[in-house]
Amino acid sequence: MKPLALLGRTLQLVPVLLGVSVIVFVMMMLTPGDPVEIMLADQQATPQQVETMRHDMGLDRPALERFGVFLGNALTGNFGLSFFHRRPVFDVIAERLPATIELTLAALLLSLIIAIPLGVIAAIKKNSLIDRMAAVGSLFGISLPGFWFGIILIILFAVHLKILPVAGRMDFACEVPPITYLLTIDSLLRGRPDCFSNALSHLILPAFTLALPMAAVLTRVQRTAMIEVLRSDYITFAEAKGLSRRRILWRHALKNALVPTVTVAAIETGSLLGGNMVVETVFGWPGLGRLVVESIFVRNYPLVQAAVLFYAVTYVLLNFVADILYTVLNPRVKL
Amino acid sequence: MLHRISAAAAIAILLSLPYGSTNASELRVGFTLDALTLDPANHRNRQTETILRNIYDGLLTRDAKMKVVPELAESWTQVDPLTYDFRIRQGVKFHDGSAMTADDIVFTFERLTKDGAMGGQTSPRKDLVGPVESITKVDDNTVRFKLKEPWPILPAMLPVQEVVSKAFTEKVGSQGLATQTNGNGPFKLVEWRKGDAIILERFEDYYGGSPDIAPVGKACVDRVIFRIIPENASRVAALLAGEADIIAELPPYDMKKVEANANTKVMKVNGTRSFFVALNNAKKPFDDPRVRRAANMAVNKALIIDKILLGTAVPLNGVLSPDAFGFNPDLPEYAFDVEAGKALLAEAGYPNGLDVTLDTEGAYKDMAEAVAAMLTKVGIRTKVAVGEGSTIRAKWAPAGEKKGDMYFNSWGNGSLDPADIFVPTLRTGDRGNTAFYSNKEVDALLDAANVELDQTKRADLYKKAQVLVNKDAPWIFLWLPQDIYGVSKRVTGWEPSADSRINLHDACVK
Repeated sequence: MKPLALLGRTLQLVPVLLGVSVIVFVMMMLTPGDPVEIMLADQQATPQQVETMRHDMGLDRPALERFGVFLGNALTGNFGLSFFHRRPVFDVIAERLPATIELTLAALLLSLIIAIPLGVIAAIKKNSLIDRMAAVGSLFGISLPGFWFGIILIILFAVHLKILPVAGRMDFACEVPPITYLLTIDSLLRGRPDCFSNALSHLILPAFTLALPMAAVLTRVQRTAMIEVLRSDYITFAEAKGLSRRRILWRHALKNALVPTVTVAAIETGSLLGGNMVVETVFGWPGLGRLVVESIFVRNYPLVQAAVLFYAVTYVLLNFVADILYTVLNPRVKL
Repeated sequence: MLHRISAAAAIAILLSLPYGSTNASELRVGFTLDALTLDPANHRNRQTETILRNIYDGLLTRDAKMKVVPELAESWTQVDPLTYDFRIRQGVKFHDGSAMTADDIVFTFERLTKDGAMGGQTSPRKDLVGPVESITKVDDNTVRFKLKEPWPILPAMLPVQEVVSKAFTEKVGSQGLATQTNGNGPFKLVEWRKGDAIILERFEDYYGGSPDIAPVGKACVDRVIFRIIPENASRVAALLAGEADIIAELPPYDMKKVEANANTKVMKVNGTRSFFVALNNAKKPFDDPRVRRAANMAVNKALIIDKILLGTAVPLNGVLSPDAFGFNPDLPEYAFDVEAGKALLAEAGYPNGLDVTLDTEGAYKDMAEAVAAMLTKVGIRTKVAVGEGSTIRAKWAPAGEKKGDMYFNSWGNGSLDPADIFVPTLRTGDRGNTAFYSNKEVDALLDAANVELDQTKRADLYKKAQVLVNKDAPWIFLWLPQDIYGVSKRVTGWEPSADSRINLHDACVK
């Protein structure tokens, strides 16, 4: 890719992100309900205290001024004070982010591991029983509500079979000093295989719940791409050259059929972040998704704004990465 | 093929590894929300309060019967309506080993009451200590609270104010206190895994807690872990799977499941929030007490409690919880009686009934609709209007336009003292008087109780006021929901308490 094209593509991000921040700000403003009243709902406060708190939060200033302050601070990574935690928003988010990243990466990996072989096999054995089962399974995976599915998994594996834990990231017995803040990796780096299996056992159910719909989509994409590739001339040519079928399929065909899968996976990873909100709540996973859900309920404006902005940036960047991946994997495509 | 088998074997081995170490004296609480901060002065949140309550002690606390008893204080005396003296217990240690002194107590309350005293911030708990004007050290064993105006509720509010170490707070600053602790309670902090768990262990040098609450001594279990599982179904699953020993906020529809499990049981206790329908006493038709009484007769509370709340609430005939100070157990009940209600309506001039609207928030829609259906049968044809919380609250503000008919409402009473619920909701023009109720006699009784030093006399004043309110029926008196806990049978020595705080000092595990 030419550097100029890359720069142009990067500059496109600016208006998108600005638009997102305006939308986030306006939507939070239009939501009915006074954050101060909601915060103090537990212990009915006096009007005087409500006023003090409103002033402390800057809510008594005009909206435009608040937006300006918000934007200016955001650029320097200062998202203000989380009303609820009474600590900097940045710190609160930073504490929760590694858990979300670990879960997202695990789900991404898991869905690729499921989808790629399944899609290839379904393509090779088109219209066979396996293909049809994969199709039905995909439909199932796409339409299952993650919330319900997660609970079913908990009841089955944790309550009845008692082989996996219900919730959390790791048990107390494991204390692993952080390196990457991803517990599975850190426990390996610290030479604690017991903690690795502990962290992994906590990760399996939420990661699977999160991965399932994505795996379903990717299987379909992989199957279609594979069928397309298998029809192309160079495969016929390779067959004519007498290469083994196995070599043709897994080396030549798959390499090209992966292009759409990888790009779709990159884009879908953005939507995993949304799915996180549900899955993290069900599995008591201490990530950003749950923090955002809790913060929305209590109208924790600064935190929700910062988190949504973070989601938007991630989403936009992932699309950006997908575009670049596409051009790298398929040189015929230009940005 | 071979490597596939070995991969499968590896996974099988991995899955069979024990994922949880079961320690005999580790108590795990399945909790709904993480602490927002570990600074006792910097939050207004019940879950945070519950967690802090096990790390820090307060000057006073409450026993299982909700009686206020000394904790870090040895005793207290009310010198006059504006002055309270507290004798400080000697030999209390903070978790770092330093001794607690009167200076720590003065420092704690100055932090709570002075503007900007928390590194520039003002404590959001400031008005929970109301009109406290100053707090001074009289001698090494005594501190004195001075009030701006009489406030007999002061002792009842002190159990929710934890005492911090002056030296430690000055060392780490208010920012530091948000994540670090140096408490004086039965457990000390080991690790806070944000959003996941708060891990505490027994404080070996604990002074033993309030002598009025047996047993006195160190905590029973080695370790306490608050595990944060916000989703109800998952929290229940954690209890059933043996991953949690106590879970808070067990949903009523899961009670059967928990009871059916051989290792778990349900424990209930009266909560602190009274539910009622505020009737607009300021305009027709509810300006007529006969119409208000008819409305009370129309509602079959027992049926709603049984069918919708699955038996997890107690009916009310007045404003107060049966566990509250000054509760009057002898209030007459408005027996469910459709015919009598109709007759009363006719007498008030509505032989053909009347049409009104009941405002409610989405969360209470089911209950409000049940109430509306019952009212309609008596002839008070009620339409339910679901609105957003703060919009409705604005409509029903005591200083507002007073245009609504009925408001499905509730009021929390964490201190379990009438001054905290009776006064704000029923005194003329007070901040929570959504019924726009005004009775000079009631006002006089409430005002007298506010300056009465003799607790027996004070209780009597509230009892008299309850009789008047019951007769006037400014509300449809509804019910007080209970707090429901799921508890493992390996837990002993723990009782849920009516102030919703989970105190684990006495809890043991088998």
